[in-house]
Amino acid sequence: MFKLLKKFSARIFGGLFRKKDNLKIGFYGPPNAGKTSLANKICKDWTGEDIGTVSNVPHETRNVQIKEKVEIKYKGKTLMFKLIDTPGIATKIDYENFMKFGLKKKKAKKRAKEATQGIIEAIQWLDDMDAVIIVLDSTQNPYSQVNITIIGNLVARKIPILIAANKIDLKKSDVKKIESAFPEYEVVGISAKEGKNIDEFYESLFKLSKKI
Amino acid sequence: MPYKCVHCSKLYEDGSEQVLKGCDGCGRKFFFYIRKDQVDKIRENEELDVELDAVEKKQIEQDVREISGFEDEEVPVFLDFESVKVIRPGKYAVDLGNLFATNKPRVYKLEDGKYIIDLSTIKISERQT
Repeated sequence: MFKLLKKFSARIFGGLFRKKDNLKIGFYGPPNAGKTSLANKICKDWTGEDIGTVSNVPHETRNVQIKEKVEIKYKGKTLMFKLIDTPGIATKIDYENFMKFGLKKKKAKKRAKEATQGIIEAIQWLDDMDAVIIVLDSTQNPYSQVNITIIGNLVARKIPILIAANKIDLKKSDVKKIESAFPEYEVVGISAKEGKNIDEFYESLFKLSKKI
Repeated sequence: MPYKCVHCSKLYEDGSEQVLKGCDGCGRKFFFYIRKDQVDKIRENEELDVELDAVEKKQIEQDVREISGFEDEEVPVFLDFESVKVIRPGKYAVDLGNLFATNKPRVYKLEDGKYIIDLSTIKISERQT
């Protein structure tokens, strides 16, 4: 009888929590906002490994990168998810911009082609996401076509959002501007590079997982 | 304020001598004033309508095939919107609205009148709805 009960409860609770174990959380945003820096910070903190390379040259991430089973423990709670870092979304990709960073013409053109391919791939993945962290550069104007299009489409797909306003270590950072641009969503100011406010970010991440 | 030649649409900055001497393109002296923000818009559109030589066209076709994953040489034609426009090799304009729309296929514009349509993206959206 006890065995039977145990089996029954395992099936019920197993079924209840199965979805939560396979959560897919995507990192989206414009190029150079710090998506990979934040993804690296989380992966390094909880798995000990990086997920991808970072660079000052925009569109460094040109393929979707996945880290399976990232387990975060915070204040006695545990959250397990699949972390999906995506290429930066942009409306214009111009190889000449990459040449300003010292890239040769041929390499710059190749990067532009791969970046365009990356944008398509990032958008294709959107329907698979359970929740999305939108990483924005808090030194930049948040009222851009890219930001508004990404957020609008996530809302239309009913995917829960958390906005990470990155680069708060920089003087020009203005988290309040991002908060007033997107007042319906939780905004957490962080510096992925310096690890500033990362505990608050993890707390928000747990709140986000409850919305799924 | 900047000027635009009424006859050949050439643009001139404020105080340009061509306004008095005549347009470089057509020699006429008939201009109208335009606002600075309009100049930027016109220049942006000019950039989108560049003339491409045969080598560049071939390169664009090759790049788009790689991006879209179409190895087949058959190129379907048409559709009046584009998700990805290749302005010239290495320069792309992405229409995010179209790409995010699940009920529209991805369309790659190679040059005027030549497109690649990714029909597999329609199938995906049909399955989802």
